[in-house]
Amino acid sequence: MIDVAALEKLLPDYLPRQRWFSGQDAADATVTRLEQPAPGLGWALVDAAGSTYQLVVGTRPATEPPPFLQGQEAGVLGTIDGLIVYDATLDAELGMALLSLVAPDEHAEHVRPAGAEQSNTSLVYDNRLILKLFRRLAGGPNPDVEVVTALTEQGFANTPSAVGVWEDGDYDLAICQQFLAEAVDGWSLALTSLRDFYGSNCDDAGDCGGDFAPEAERLGETTAAMHIAMAAAFGTSPGDTAGWADLVDKQFERLQPRDIDQAAADRFVAALRAVPADKAGASIRVHGDYHLGQVLRTDAGWYVLDFEGEPARPLEERTAPSSPLKDVAGMLRSFHYAAQVGLTERAEANQERYLPKAENWEAHNRAAFLRGYMGAAAGAGLLPGDDAALDAVLTAFELDKAVYELLYERGHRPDWVVIPQSAIARLLA
Amino acid sequence: MDLRNAEDPRWFQRAVFYEVLTRGFYDANNDGTGDLRGLTEKLDYIQWLGVDCIWLLPFYQSPLRDGGYDISDFFTVLPEYGNLADAEQLVEEAHRRGLRIIADMVMNHTSDAHPWFQESRQDRTNPKADWYVWNDDDQRWGEARIIFVDTEKSNWTFDQQRGQYYWHRFFAHQPDLNFDNEEVQQAMFDVVKFWLDIGLDGFRLDAVPYLYERDGTNGENLPETHDYLKQLRKEVDSQFPGKVLLAEANQWPADVVDYFGDGDECHMCFHFPLMPRMFMAIRREQRTPITEILAQTPEIPDGCQWGIFLRNHDELTLEMVTDEERDYMYAEYAKDPRMRRNIGIGRRLAPLVENDRRVAELLHAMLFSMPGSPVLYYGDEIGMGDNIYLGDRDGVRTPMQWSPDRNAGFSRADFAQLYLPPLMDPVYGFQAVNVEAEKRDTSSMLHWMRRMLEIRKQHPLFGTGTFEIIPVENPSVLTYVRQEGDDIVICVNNLSRFAQPAELPLQRFAGRTPIELLGRVPFPRIGELPYFVTLGPYQFYWFQLVEHL
Repeated sequence: MIDVAALEKLLPDYLPRQRWFSGQDAADATVTRLEQPAPGLGWALVDAAGSTYQLVVGTRPATEPPPFLQGQEAGVLGTIDGLIVYDATLDAELGMALLSLVAPDEHAEHVRPAGAEQSNTSLVYDNRLILKLFRRLAGGPNPDVEVVTALTEQGFANTPSAVGVWEDGDYDLAICQQFLAEAVDGWSLALTSLRDFYGSNCDDAGDCGGDFAPEAERLGETTAAMHIAMAAAFGTSPGDTAGWADLVDKQFERLQPRDIDQAAADRFVAALRAVPADKAGASIRVHGDYHLGQVLRTDAGWYVLDFEGEPARPLEERTAPSSPLKDVAGMLRSFHYAAQVGLTERAEANQERYLPKAENWEAHNRAAFLRGYMGAAAGAGLLPGDDAALDAVLTAFELDKAVYELLYERGHRPDWVVIPQSAIARLLA
Repeated sequence: MDLRNAEDPRWFQRAVFYEVLTRGFYDANNDGTGDLRGLTEKLDYIQWLGVDCIWLLPFYQSPLRDGGYDISDFFTVLPEYGNLADAEQLVEEAHRRGLRIIADMVMNHTSDAHPWFQESRQDRTNPKADWYVWNDDDQRWGEARIIFVDTEKSNWTFDQQRGQYYWHRFFAHQPDLNFDNEEVQQAMFDVVKFWLDIGLDGFRLDAVPYLYERDGTNGENLPETHDYLKQLRKEVDSQFPGKVLLAEANQWPADVVDYFGDGDECHMCFHFPLMPRMFMAIRREQRTPITEILAQTPEIPDGCQWGIFLRNHDELTLEMVTDEERDYMYAEYAKDPRMRRNIGIGRRLAPLVENDRRVAELLHAMLFSMPGSPVLYYGDEIGMGDNIYLGDRDGVRTPMQWSPDRNAGFSRADFAQLYLPPLMDPVYGFQAVNVEAEKRDTSSMLHWMRRMLEIRKQHPLFGTGTFEIIPVENPSVLTYVRQEGDDIVICVNNLSRFAQPAELPLQRFAGRTPIELLGRVPFPRIGELPYFVTLGPYQFYWFQLVEHL
């Protein structure tokens, strides 16, 4: 067993190297618990930079570093007492141990990492199961575990069913779900369609070979079915246009004056406030971070993944009820991004030539998605009462998302700032 | 190989079929119409191509108002095509070359010119009065859909002579036989046995789902129909082992599998929805249309096989796709409304893919490697075109293009005497596209096809091996593994017109070496990491995985 103090010493160097670590600096990292839930598997809770993280580690003699650590330096914590300490998810043997902890009834032959991820670490077993180890923990049920379990109970088939959950007291530590090996994520499909369209002679995305609209329409239908199941599972409350107006207003305040036409913004917020309460539609538990990367096209239709909400927002905000149009807006923003990112793949000099195509593709697929969504959601009583209210609420959440994007791009990808900027201008026009 | 004594009752599971229109293949007596003797003369070509079994469209006596599917005498060869002696000679010569022959058989209906119907319509009491389906009004069985929506308004037509309506699921001149009548059941057994006696190796059973009618049903796939087919199978097996029954049931795979029974009904069924899905996948540049339909295809009983095809003598069948996909297929493939026929598209393969050789090759590579026995349509092996200005379905039934000579080398009759004009346009016309030229040119479509058929024959797994999709992240790449015993072939297909990368999770084959089957070139050995390949536009690989080089 590793020594707590020795482990703590390695953390200020180790944590900032991890993608799932959200703080800047881990100098204050403390190990609050250290246990051995399975032979050879170390498990620790760490408090650092104001959050709690989960660590799983393995050890091997430093004199014989195991071959699976080659090229995985980022996953090595360091050396303690002649033992090399590393992230247990890199070790196939410990990966199997994790599976027996999370889903004791399951057995697998092969395990592999699921690829780069932001906030969790996932392992895939026999291309059949995926185990998601949550890294940053929050007390209370993990939203992903909570929603997937509830949707499965509601008979909503379009999310991978849960086969096991690993809990410790107040914390959800990991979830094991069916893995959709043959599925393709929506983002890749949209880009396939866009490449086909940009590379063709057609001016209308509907005339083009790789038309995405039928998929977008089916995705709209699945989204509506998801919302209906969410409403059944978690209940509904009246929509809150005043609260949503406050939210958008607050978002606008975070912008610089040059980002926004303030008069138009004020007019929009006033109009949203003017929507009568009985026209606002319902508030329900929503996906919260709904975009093309969160949906998979399988042979049995679209599947929805990852109900944790936007990882950067606090838990209460992520699980707070909102209009189902928040998710719709998220997906529509994703269509805009896909069209624009598809553009950036083209030679820069040609981008202007493709711009009308990007707009055409987005409008075409946006319409198809909304057609599918509105058709399937009609009669469920979740949506705003008339077209004007629906338009105002949908626009509000598109603006909310676009502002979030703009702030993010400004900090991380300045070249892309123009994408949300153009969206905000268009939405307020 | 001489088949006259060969005994492999499951030959059809590994066979490649070649669909031939007798009328359009070769004219031996120079009267402007292809004939059985003409086909016999061209057997050497068919053998050279490397297919295993010929499928003949109807060659029976007929007024030819529906391409011979309107039979007026089951026991006579249409005189333009020859006579029984010609049929016997064709079968014998084919078998001598190792080729089998199956023929179309229409169970469901006859021509209204058939003596049975002529007798039946006389009055309500004659000996054959009950051989067809008669009714006093035209309201019964309204649930049954109308199949030829372009030409027919009802499944009932009034007969003045008898003063009653008769039932027809297809054209009004094709009255449905009444299979509730035991004499009809026996008569059709006799028809089948007659031709098996002559040596045919089986039948493609036309329009089988509609044999019976029952109140409150749509008249398709009824249990009575299955019972009759099982009886037929028993009769055939007991007296003619090793023959094949291939059902044409244009239905969803989940319904079609019923025609296999428990391995005691039809040996083969066509898989209809796969074909439009393959075209759609290529237009969409993504594999989902294909994997989706395969996921919905149930397992079939031991000793059975799917028949799969790209094009045939009928339209590209769109009954099996959703409305939205049908609109899409129309928009993509039938830009000219004249190309639409019924609920489908009447085009040959080459014009359907805008004469893109790469797409035609990719489609064939998938056809040859997916689960089922491939059925080729005459002329597609040389990339023949079509003539959409000809009526009905004749656009894809123009004469086989043998050479750049007069009448495409098909006939020495006067041009005006030909049953249909051969194609003469600058792209697909016989001056440009013909067997003679492509035989000389080793880079031709024809030689490519022959090579593929040769490779397919070397690996029985393409017929009887297991099939498993291998998940790949890139949505434009469709990969699957075929395996039988220690023979393993991985097929990788790029459905996109752009080059694509693919990481194939082949770790379970670690240590094996992929050999590309067209050139026998060894590729780097498979290791513990995903196997990386790059594919050019519409490119495919067939990799055999060998243990030792």
